[in-house]
Amino acid sequence: MSLLHRIQHADDMFNWHGDMPTEGRYTVGIAGEKFFREIKDNGKFLATVCLDCDITYMPPRLYCEQCFAQLDEWLEVDPLGHVHTFTVVHHNLDEELLPDPQIIAFITLDDTDGGLVHYLGEVEADEVYLGMPVEAVFKSEDEREGSITDIEYFRPV
Amino acid sequence: MKEFVYDSVYLRREDFEEGRVLFETWDPNARYAWDAGVAISRYLQELRAGRLIGRSCPECNRVLIPPRMFCESCFYPTDRWVPLEDTGTVLTFSRCYVTWDMVKLEKPQIPAVVEIDGASQGMGIMHMLGEVDPDTVAIGMRVGAVWKPPEERVGSVNDIAYFRPLED
Repeated sequence: MSLLHRIQHADDMFNWHGDMPTEGRYTVGIAGEKFFREIKDNGKFLATVCLDCDITYMPPRLYCEQCFAQLDEWLEVDPLGHVHTFTVVHHNLDEELLPDPQIIAFITLDDTDGGLVHYLGEVEADEVYLGMPVEAVFKSEDEREGSITDIEYFRPV
Repeated sequence: MKEFVYDSVYLRREDFEEGRVLFETWDPNARYAWDAGVAISRYLQELRAGRLIGRSCPECNRVLIPPRMFCESCFYPTDRWVPLEDTGTVLTFSRCYVTWDMVKLEKPQIPAVVEIDGASQGMGIMHMLGEVDPDTVAIGMRVGAVWKPPEERVGSVNDIAYFRPLED
């Protein structure tokens, strides 16, 4: 294509603006339903256990990922854990600067083989270290709606 | 190994509204801007001015609408702007009794591909037909563009309101 075809004025150029309205609903599933109901109603964590493989699944799974057995052994787990890894987030999804940086961590829960990704609170970013013991802080019962955000954040013990 | 099959459950609107099932909603911000490029930018400008324009290929002499900067048949760069009529012939059409978001229509919408006069055979644009009895629409029907008033045109293919049958 030659130079003659080049657009000489920005006004000659069209940009087509559009939007793709897509709203999705993700149901939490059979195991998730039990897990989140327990958080909502009692403020407690549930895990499933595979006795053959000696694995405690957190969040709970319906089947064992090692031996594919169906899991119907449910276990209550204390809301205590340790920081496995963490990061400090300064921008939101639209790249706007957050007024206060958020600390997001993967927290392994004690006596399980899994954990949860969640916020850390009541702690400064430079005080966080790997292996720090933390506990879950739940919202009050009337504010809980059966979602992962029913946990406000994890805070140092 | 123990075999286990879960009952399949059909969830209804009430199950969500009455809180019988837990769920997360996801509403991504999917706004975008698409750069129309050299050929389509000129095409949209001409639409705003109430004209249709095509591009011709020096190799096969076809006149292409919507215009493009190269011929997809011989891969030659197109080299000439060709003003076209705003009339044409129905190449294919459909009668739609549901809108894109699944609302039932009593009076059908009639999308059609209109082969534009002055462009090569098979070269047309997709648009809506209007002012026409759905039962009398036929392939080969002669139609002409109904333009929106100039102050409402924005440089879009919707600057043509619809195509209607030509009175012979």
